Amino acid sequence: MHGASVRQNVTGMGALRTWHRTSRRCCAYTAAATAVSAEKCVIMEVAKTMPSEEGLGNRESQYLSILDNLPGYIVILSPTGEFEFHHQKLSEFTGAPPDELRKWKGNDLIHPDDLAGVMQAIEDCLRTGEDSDIEYRLKRFDGVYRWFNSRGRPQRNGNGDITRWYFLLVDVDDRKRTEEELRENQAYIAEGQSLSQTGTFYWNTQTNERRFSDELYRLMEIEPGTVITDELLASRVHPDDHQLLQQKVEAGQQNRGGLDYEIRLKGPSGRVRWVHTIGRSYRGENGSLDYIGAVRDITERHTSEEVLSKLRSELTHMARVTSLGALTASIAHEVNQPLAGILANASTGLRMLSSNPPNVGGALETARRTIRDANRASDVITRLRALFTKKETVSEGVQLNDAAREVIALSLTELQRNRLVVLTEFADDLPVIRGDRVQLQQVILNLLLNASDAMRSVTDRPCELLIRTTGDLQNGVCVTVRDTGVGIDPESAAKMFDPFYSTKNSGMGIGLSVSRDIIERHGGRLWAEPNEHHGASFHFSIPNQT
Amino acid sequence: MDPVSLLISVVDDDESVRESLPDLLREFGFMAKSFASANEFLVSRCADKTKCLILDIAMPGMSGPELKRELERTGYFIPTIFITAHAEICSRPDVRDGAAACLVKPFSDMALQNAVKKALEST
Repeated sequence: MHGASVRQNVTGMGALRTWHRTSRRCCAYTAAATAVSAEKCVIMEVAKTMPSEEGLGNRESQYLSILDNLPGYIVILSPTGEFEFHHQKLSEFTGAPPDELRKWKGNDLIHPDDLAGVMQAIEDCLRTGEDSDIEYRLKRFDGVYRWFNSRGRPQRNGNGDITRWYFLLVDVDDRKRTEEELRENQAYIAEGQSLSQTGTFYWNTQTNERRFSDELYRLMEIEPGTVITDELLASRVHPDDHQLLQQKVEAGQQNRGGLDYEIRLKGPSGRVRWVHTIGRSYRGENGSLDYIGAVRDITERHTSEEVLSKLRSELTHMARVTSLGALTASIAHEVNQPLAGILANASTGLRMLSSNPPNVGGALETARRTIRDANRASDVITRLRALFTKKETVSEGVQLNDAAREVIALSLTELQRNRLVVLTEFADDLPVIRGDRVQLQQVILNLLLNASDAMRSVTDRPCELLIRTTGDLQNGVCVTVRDTGVGIDPESAAKMFDPFYSTKNSGMGIGLSVSRDIIERHGGRLWAEPNEHHGASFHFSIPNQT
Repeated sequence: MDPVSLLISVVDDDESVRESLPDLLREFGFMAKSFASANEFLVSRCADKTKCLILDIAMPGMSGPELKRELERTGYFIPTIFITAHAEICSRPDVRDGAAACLVKPFSDMALQNAVKKALEST
């Protein structure tokens, strides 16, 4: 096709035309390429010798200067893949002379790891005639490899045969490294999300568009990439929590504070998960109210807390039962006294009725006393049952003075066994506090028994056990149990409240630890301090919760 | 001996016992008085007239055995019956050896009667 000229359309440069002359002889062509965008790379070839119709001498130098200033290197291959031309700058970049460049298949100009791929790609495009687009590392003059993007396009003659291949090489190393970093970061984020079982989301409240991270898709048991609709979202929330979800969605749309709540998920697998959702709002591009947030699987913590709560109940009960053992003496006493009275009174009554004449008046009196004593025994049993039956924590109004009096009555014998004197100083108008009456009685009992024990070995001074209550509506209530016993030794002071710490041979030592736990769950404090002269004082305070 | 003139004193800090025992003792034919504490008994100066003592063991202040020791110290050796709510206390030496009997509450009227008889016979 001699002398044929082909006009090629050039995008991006307006009405620049190219003239092309076919020749079997490879002249030194200079080619200019414009790269408007990475995708629209068009190669123009300008022959060195051209009819100077339009003053192409100037044009040529123009093209040459364009060539010199392109952000890329030109390589031209023959239809069989022979090296026909390369731009001077490529030699400068690689620091390799043209001979060396030609031997690219055999040297390490192209990174050894990429060479096979490049050769295959070139082979493919030569064979198929399709554009090629590959990336590989090219060695710079200083030995450092940089990533290049190489796009190749064939030039065809009028018959459609390929006459040569034009390749444009663009240094994409920075972009490539950024991409890799980005990929790595994404991988870290994904790994982080997976490890912490936290998924992230974006929510545009105006368009109701929702975007989930992969981990969030997984948590919700939804195929990644699925569009999240309101229905789909609701279908993954536990039926009992649908109302809660509705509330939170509405609150979110009305921008009533950030999202921060716990809710249950229940996916198609049937598995129930507890999750904690938090989200922050901000103004989106179009002024929409958007949220970015995270959803964290807290099922384990929730289950743990349930288990912990149950364990706590067990421990409290165990502590109570241990005191039960300590109270055996008291219990026996409390019950046996009225029983003795009953037996004596009934016997007396019987004798009175059997005498001649029957002493009916007397018998009536003994019968009355019998009933009274039976009720007394019954009360003790009821009180004991209340104190020692395992129950869940309740919240009720508690008048601590009454609660303390009951405990004292129940344990009086045990306390007096150590021949101590029990003194009480109960505040008038002690406010009623909210709490678990039985648990608080447990604490008082624990403190009383401890105080009694502390005075067991004391013989040289009076043994006094003081129970005092103070308090007002503002500050809450305070209960003090003071003894004149052996006091707190520094060694025990630190460990006193530890579970299983005990100075008693037979005790299990869970009393103080459980007691403190109970008080703290009422929002209060339990602490001990030595007295000025002898013994120790244990105090607990409970704030007014109203 | 004429039972009518025999005084039995009961010392117990428990009200039920103080109420019911004397009546029962009276049904037995004795005179009976009750006291709420060892001190109360000592202050009452009934030791002279008391022919038999029924003492609760565990009491605040002076215990039953302690009261007996105190009485003996001042020359009173009155036959004593200890009563208690705790069975194991009865095996204690100062209790076992110091009394005619040790009864565990609640005890039957027969047990009490027998104990009183035994106590009075020991004099």
